[in-house]
Amino acid sequence: MKNLPHDLEDLDRFLSSIRFHPRASLEPEIFGRWRRGEAPGNARRSWLRGALGVSGLVVLLTAGIFGVVRPRLWPSTHQVDRCCQDLDGGGVADDGILVLADASDNVERLTLYEDRDLSGTFSAGDSLRFTRHGVLDTVGAQGADMTTTEFCCADYDGDGPTDDALIVMHDRTGISMAAIYEHGHEKGVLLR
Amino acid sequence: MNPEFPKPAIVPQPGESTSAEDVCRFWYTTYSGEVYNYLRFHLPSADTAEDIMAETFLKVFRSAATFDPSRASARVWIFSIARNTLHDFARRARVRRHVSLGALRDLACDAPSPEERLIWEEEVAGVLEAVALLEEGDREMISLRYGSNLSVAMIAEVLAIREPTVRTRLWRALKRLRARLPEDT
Repeated sequence: MKNLPHDLEDLDRFLSSIRFHPRASLEPEIFGRWRRGEAPGNARRSWLRGALGVSGLVVLLTAGIFGVVRPRLWPSTHQVDRCCQDLDGGGVADDGILVLADASDNVERLTLYEDRDLSGTFSAGDSLRFTRHGVLDTVGAQGADMTTTEFCCADYDGDGPTDDALIVMHDRTGISMAAIYEHGHEKGVLLR
Repeated sequence: MNPEFPKPAIVPQPGESTSAEDVCRFWYTTYSGEVYNYLRFHLPSADTAEDIMAETFLKVFRSAATFDPSRASARVWIFSIARNTLHDFARRARVRRHVSLGALRDLACDAPSPEERLIWEEEVAGVLEAVALLEEGDREMISLRYGSNLSVAMIAEVLAIREPTVRTRLWRALKRLRARLPEDT
């Protein structure tokens, strides 16, 4: 910088050398959200995520034990594709979720994939990290070193509002269970 | 070392052949680096900076039709949205002041060895912690000049103030920052 006092030159040089690079998948993620018509203000809130994760785990385990999995009306069978987040704890936001639900709102298939070609959506070259068919089952997802992470909030069910959360349970070997649920539903928290 | 942000090869011109997405991609390619580094000088977490950047550009894309180049340049317009988004976030959430080393995963580094990379990260973390402790006005000056790599003239345009005022405020901010750093930094 011109006319900078001599005693500030070193600090000027040091500060000028600092550069950060946003992750490459952020661009397709933002453009994907824009194409889907998502409104601003739905950014992930890390300060909220921790608190929601704990409460979500309690709800999830309760539902698993007592079988409190309720169906909800859904206009038609449809598929929802959401990308890209770090769902498996690998440190890179290159994972997506694919939800296929029937007309009664039951999740027929819930798939987590790695967006290997950075297309921002599920495509032929992507690798599957987890697939769940049919109803929620937490039996296979119990273990001492299991980690539960909640991702909130997004429109995972494709009905418009970004009021859905995704819970992923994983350990060192991979993802063991995944489920979505809806906040603020008239019947309370609704597990899928 | 004073790295420049990559510039796009094609500048879309107004006309029937230019789609809204072409223009938005041009804006993203041109200004995302500046905006992201501006946010990173304000925020100690890469995750939070990514969230704010996504929110900023979603607002930019959704408001693209309202952009009036006769009133302000695209850079000034986009930075005004980024600054407002950041201030909204700061109002509703307490921004941590501590910069942990793990939070610098997005830091560019051409160090040849892991040890040198670690030293570089420690130095940057120390300086960014000092930046975080500055008054808001000083932090804004440092973030625009060194985060976004904007010239004094550009900062004057973004903040709608005169260039000599920018220079004076920047020098004062640098002096206050240096006073917060250890002698050997």
